[in-house]
Parts: sequence; C-alpha cells; structure tokens
Amino acid sequence: MVNVMKGILVECDPAMKQFLLHLDDSNALGKKFIMQDLDETHLFISSDILDTLQNQINELMDKLSFPITTQ
Amino acid sequence: MVQLKPDNEARPLWVAPNGHIFLESFSPVYRHAHDFLIAIAEPVSRPEHIQEYRLTAYSLYAAVSVGLETKDIIEYLKRLSKTSLPEGIMEFIKLCTLSYGKVKLVLKHNRYFIESHFADVIQTLLKDPVIQECRLKRDSEDSELLTETVTSDKSVLSLKKPAEGEGENSTQQAPTDVPDDICNYYEKMDRDDEDEIDTKTVSFEINQQHLETLQKRCIELDYPMLAEYDFKNDTVNPNVNIDLKPSTILRPYQEKSLRKMFGNGRARSGVIVLPCGAGKTLVGVTAACTLKKRCLVLCTSGVAVEQWRSQFKMWSTLDDSQICRFTSDAKDKPMGCSVCISTYSMISHTAKRSWEAEKVMEWMRKQEWGVMILDEVQYIPAKMFRRVLSSVQAHTKLGLTATLLREDDKITDLNFLIGPKLYEANWLELQKDGFIAKVQCAEVWCPMAPEFYREYLITRSQKRMLLYAMNPNKFRACQFLIRFHEQRNDKVIVFSDNVFALKSYAIKMGKPYLYGPTSQGERLHILQNFQHNPKVNTIFVSKVADNSFDLPEANVLIQISSHGGSRRQEAQRLGRILRAKKGAAAEEYNAFFYTLVSQDTVEVHFATKRQRFLVNQGYAYKVITKLAGMDEQADLSYGTREEQAQVLQKVLAANDADAEEERMMGDFLPRGGQMVRRVGSMSSMSGADDALYMEYRTSHSKNASSHPLFKRFRR
Repeated sequence: MVNVMKGILVECDPAMKQFLLHLDDSNALGKKFIMQDLDETHLFISSDILDTLQNQINELMDKLSFPITTQ
Repeated sequence: MVQLKPDNEARPLWVAPNGHIFLESFSPVYRHAHDFLIAIAEPVSRPEHIQEYRLTAYSLYAAVSVGLETKDIIEYLKRLSKTSLPEGIMEFIKLCTLSYGKVKLVLKHNRYFIESHFADVIQTLLKDPVIQECRLKRDSEDSELLTETVTSDKSVLSLKKPAEGEGENSTQQAPTDVPDDICNYYEKMDRDDEDEIDTKTVSFEINQQHLETLQKRCIELDYPMLAEYDFKNDTVNPNVNIDLKPSTILRPYQEKSLRKMFGNGRARSGVIVLPCGAGKTLVGVTAACTLKKRCLVLCTSGVAVEQWRSQFKMWSTLDDSQICRFTSDAKDKPMGCSVCISTYSMISHTAKRSWEAEKVMEWMRKQEWGVMILDEVQYIPAKMFRRVLSSVQAHTKLGLTATLLREDDKITDLNFLIGPKLYEANWLELQKDGFIAKVQCAEVWCPMAPEFYREYLITRSQKRMLLYAMNPNKFRACQFLIRFHEQRNDKVIVFSDNVFALKSYAIKMGKPYLYGPTSQGERLHILQNFQHNPKVNTIFVSKVADNSFDLPEANVLIQISSHGGSRRQEAQRLGRILRAKKGAAAEEYNAFFYTLVSQDTVEVHFATKRQRFLVNQGYAYKVITKLAGMDEQADLSYGTREEQAQVLQKVLAANDADAEEERMMGDFLPRGGQMVRRVGSMSSMSGADDALYMEYRTSHSKNASSHPLFKRFRR
C-alpha cells in the first residue's frame, strides 16, 4: 500500500536543527513530525505541523530575549 | 497644564509630571544644569544627547544634605525648565525637603548625639516611643536637653582652586543667548555655601547599639538624620600629620566630589560614585588628608589592601611606619599609626581570633576614627558588613564605588547605613576628557556546536552552564581574539566565572590562570609577570578579579562566562580596563571589551540583562555575528568533529559541582529561582475554587524503610 504525506523542506543552521530534533524526540508537539533527516542543515518535515512549530520557535526566541525598556 | 516659555530654546530641561527630568546635553548651560541635577536627582540614563534623571525622595534628601534649600531647588528648576513646573512636582519637592536636614547625628567624645537647631523638632522626636528607647539615660542628671552654640565657617577644603575657576569662566563667556537669570542664580547658590552661621542647637545623647534602628525610625518619621563631623573643632582626637604631596594634582571631577563632602566646613558622610579607574583611591586619600584625623580604610581583599597602601605612599606624605595593615597575612603594629587598612571580612569576623588579632580589634573598637573609607561600598548592605559599622566608630563614613547597584533592593539601605550619594560622575564625559579609556564594547555571537546544543536541550541541571561555556565555537572565537590582540601587543584578561571552563581554556591554550584557591604569593607572581614580562600577554581569571584588581596595563577583556544577569559584575569588569591608556589618540578606541555569547542559549538573555547599566551610562554594544578572518586560521583548536566530541565527553563526565560558579563573599543573589511568585485570589488560596490538596512524602518514606541503625548518621 502506498502512503502519501505532504512535506516541507526545512533549511536551518546546525543548532536549530538540533532544536527541531529535540522537539521531535521529546514529543513536544504531540507527535513525531520529522520524516527524513537529510544532512547538517536540512530536514524534511510534515507540513501540517508548520504553524505549531513556528509558535514553538517564537517562544524559544522570546524566552531568550530580554525586554530592555522595562526596568 | 504646563506652559511653554517663549524662550524655551535657551532652557535645557523638561520636567515631566512623573518626576523624570530630561536634559539636553548640547545646551549652552548644560554644565550648570548638569551639576545641579546631579545634586538633586538620580541619573537614570545618560547617553550622548538627551539625558534622563529622576527626582526621588532620597535624591532630594541628598540635595538638602549638601546644603541646598527648598526654595533654591524650586526656583532654579523653574528657571532651567522649558515649561512651567507641574504642580505635583513642586508639591513633591516641598514635601520631601522641608523636614529634611533639620536633625543631625553628631559623634562627640566617643558618644553619639542627636542635634537640631529646632527645639520643637527634637521634642517631636522625643515623643516617639521607638526613639525614647534608643535614648541613652545616664542616671538622671543627663535627662535634660543640652543646649549649645555652634559657630561654623566654611572653606576648609584646602585644594588648589584656580584650575576649576578657569573652567567656569570659559563656560560663562561662551554662551551669549543664555537667559541671565540662570547664570546669576547659580552663582548666588554657590556663594551661599560660604557664609558663616551662628546657631543654637539642642541635642540629646543616644545609645549606640540602637543606632541603626534610630536612623531607620527617623526616616520613617520624615526627619532623616544627617551625619556630620566638625573636625576642625575636634580637640579630643589628635591631629595627624598627613598631607598630599605637592606633586599630587586632583582632576576636576575628583575635586568636585570632595567639595560636596566638605561642603560647609564639616565633613559629612556619604557615597561618591566614580567609574573604576577614575581615581577613587585618590579621592579617598585626599579626604583623609583633609580631615587630618585617624583614618580607617576597609576594602574587599588582601590585594586591595596592598594597593591602598601603595597609593597612600604615592600620593601623601605618609611613610610605612604610619600605615598599618590588618589582614590575615600581614599584621603591622597598630599602636601610634594614623592610617589603618583592613578588609571587611577581617573586621566583621565573629569566630575566635588569634590573640594578636584580638588585641588589634580591641584597640580598633576603642578608637574614635576620624574617617572610615569604605571601598567598593556596594558590598556593605549584607548583614555581615553591618556589624562592621556598629563595631567601629567613625565620625564620617565615605563610601566609594563604581556601581551603586545590586540585583536585590538592598542598595537603599546605604542611605541610612552610610549617607546619601554625594556625587556621581558621568562616564561618557570622563571618557571624552581622556580620564578613562575609550572602550569599544562588543558582543560576539558564537553558534552552538550541534552536539553541544543537543545535550543542552536535554540537560536540565547546572551542567547546562558548562555546555554553553565550553562550546567549541566559543573557544575558537576566544583563541582567535587572543591571538589577534597579542599580535597588536595588547594585554588581554579573560574572565570566566566557571572554574571548570576557566581551567580547561587556560590549560588548552597554555596560559596562566588564577582563581579563588590560588595562593597570595602565586597571585602576585602571575600578576607581576603579566605586568612586566612581554611573554605573558594573556591571563585567565575567575571572578576573584572582579573588584579592586588593579591591572593598569590590560586593555582587552574577554568574558567567557558570567554570573547570570548581574549588571554590577558587567560594570565592574569593564572597570578593569578603564584606566586611561598612555599615548593613544583621543578619538580612537583604546580598549576592547568582548563578551562571548553562545547563541540560542540563556546566555543571550543574560547578556542583554547585564548590559543595561552600561547602556544607561551611554555605552553602545557592537554585535559581532561573525569574526572576520577566523575561517582562514586553520590551526585554531577544536576544528574537527572528533576533537569536539572529546570535549563533549569531558564536559559530560564533569559533575554538577564543577558546573557551579565559584562562590565568593558578596554574592547574595538567590540562586536558581527557588521562589516563585504567583498571582491568585484569597478565595482560591483557601480552597474555594475547587482546589484539591494532596499530602505526599518523598524523602521521608525512603528513610523509614532503611535500617534504624543508619538513622543517626543521617541529618
């Protein structure tokens, strides 16, 4: 039987790739989403996860930044 | 509504209704306005063009204590402002200043008195139950109030004034479009200071043990006490033969800060804030020379003690026999000395001392010190150091610091432990005038090596810190920068809070390193080599070198790991390279401050947090995403995957203790968020919102199952 899944090619720096792999391993988004680990900077992931994934990354960035205007 | 004045362009200020004041630094009357604002308000942010200040109750209190009066403050503020003053601000100034400055705390014949010109104020204070308790009652004869007449004349500070005068003349001639009233009024205020006063005072004696309670209580009652010392008329304490050497010249800002301290012919306690490397020590030495009384200097470490001693010998006429060191290594004979230098921990030590040290302490407690100079005073709020202040009696306390800030809110304690802030220098201006080095601050981004980032994401413990400190890319960046600067004949200091990282970096690169356990002798050895040996251009240090480590040669600083988001540490570290460099062109940068940040880790968060203080002083950070030329250097370490994997193995093998920062005195920040603040309603706290509580035991149940024999060994 043939399974068809829509996917997206993701290009990112090596560290970010590790973050994605970590999300995949720890099931942070509720399911596995990486279909193929291509090389250092490329991943092939399922497309329906894209929105949640973007939120996760924004969250990471927010966590690391510090609002300089508030005392 | 506030009205805009027609000649608003000539006036440099805008006072916002919330107490913030904005000052144009390009205005012709900037100098006057700036001096005035420094006296009455706290600087919030001082970049190049527009500066922000804030009026607070404490800053106004400080203003009163240096001799400004309510009507002067309001009047001058009115004249400087582009608009009419908001009503609320005027009310606030009146409220804060009217009751201030009426009560003074005076130390006479080894006894403390509260003194005031206003008999009714003293009566009010005496009615307060807390103060009554603090009052010292000697039998019954002393219960009467003491009344006496005091005459004080000003102009005691015997400094060379001409240089300062010239400066003022030139600024007054230049601006022609300045409204006359601004200049005139300022001069008048200056002159007011010089008058003679003949006054009647009322006083009562207080119990020394309750001193701090009393000071706190008085602030609560809105009668904060000014601590003053009439040293000219003090005949009980012998004068000490100490003078500045004729060759010693004070810089204008040092003189200005001292003028605040000796404003009305008496010495008052307070804190002077100058950037590191701007000559705080000389200010301290000059204060001691002006008072000419016995002087006690307290600093943070043994190295600093030696530095103070050599500075005293350099600037003043003192010789070895008059200076006494009191540290764990060096105990000079204290008898007959005029300057004693010691450390905070030595004085506040409570455990048993050696017989010799105990004798010295006893002697110190008995002395009536003319001035106590507290170096790096930001340490003082800690409980341990409070003991210092209550065990040794000094007429005046002079606090010196570069960074009057702490991450906890204890900094306001200084207001009653020592006194108000007397002076705060503007970093950018000192830099412009060449008194401190012109520093280029840079934040270098180092991408995390993938394997390291993977571990970082999985790890939850202290070890995370090791992972981002040991990031091979960071190591390479560090190595590259060291090489680059060594080729330029620069002297480089590398800072790492984490001892594990410190050692690994230094050993790998073959450079000397020093940290807490390094012995005093070895320290001096390394530092001397760094200063004089052309082959030793780089040293690695832990946070022991944050404060009072005088390394005048160093001009490059690389930071590989730091104490969380501490602004103070950032500023203190910058201070290590701030000392003015010789023979450098004024407009070029002559010192470099790099912070290496591992990308995508909490370090990014810390870095921004740490930079706030310096950004407020007007520094700009340059972000370097990629070091140009790094790829061409093939011989940097950890280039290959295998090598990186080895480092990772080493890091993972390290235990949690290695991952911790070096602990030192002076760190009182709560670690790792043990406390959490949540918002909730009272009803939900008491279980109204269907909250369920469960009883659980974790460690207890384990203990119960083990053999009773082992119980006693466990705590």
